[in-house]
Amino acid sequence: MITFNCTIQEGIIPDDLRPALASELARISTGILGGDPAEVSVQWIEVPHGFGFRGGELSTTSAVRGEIPPGCEQETRVLLMHAIQDRWMELTGCTTAELVVSARDRRET
Amino acid sequence: MPYYRCIIPKDALSFEQRQDIARAFTDIHCDSTGAPRSFVSVAFFETPDGEQPELGSEYYLDGGNRAGRSEEVKQQLLADLTQAFSDVSGVPAEQIPGRIRENPASWTMEGGFVLPEPGQEGPEWYAEVAAAAAD
Repeated sequence: MITFNCTIQEGIIPDDLRPALASELARISTGILGGDPAEVSVQWIEVPHGFGFRGGELSTTSAVRGEIPPGCEQETRVLLMHAIQDRWMELTGCTTAELVVSARDRRET
Repeated sequence: MPYYRCIIPKDALSFEQRQDIARAFTDIHCDSTGAPRSFVSVAFFETPDGEQPELGSEYYLDGGNRAGRSEEVKQQLLADLTQAFSDVSGVPAEQIPGRIRENPASWTMEGGFVLPEPGQEGPEWYAEVAAAAAD
């Protein structure tokens, strides 16, 4: 299973954009890693205004933290992170400096 | 990365205190690791009244960093962050548990670049990061 935790700053990503972003995360990740887009889980964590900082100043940064099946080749992982970054920037209008993308191996329990 | 989550009770800290802590964390992390300031993220999450704190303590520092630093560096970093939080908030340091979790640098892309391992940054990488931040 693939999961994404998206940490966003209040007022930066419009609420009505979230379904499209979630849908694209599912489409992109399963297109590269395989699997069923319907089984991709996307959770949103909104940081209230005045509660998120970057470099000591108020943050406008979004962080898309993916957990993917373990054992992914680094080349594939980079391809996934780039594809997510490009699409996220396209949909939200943010800059590369305002986005962190990670694709970490899911820890086996 | 790095990303520091501070779990706090509702209304425990003013905006000025939160910003002072965020700035102190940024200074401490950059002094300790040499990371660019623009990479240090700090967020505060309040536990709503009547709810159990997420990590079992009213106050908790939950950090996420690149893997590859020595245990000594990590422990000193956490101790310095805890002390800074205590100094600003007035909460005794022993009441602020915390942890620093790590993941390989190559699992994260920031500023458009896959992160290098600690110590492998090199002047070219710093120049690229600075140029991207200025765009």
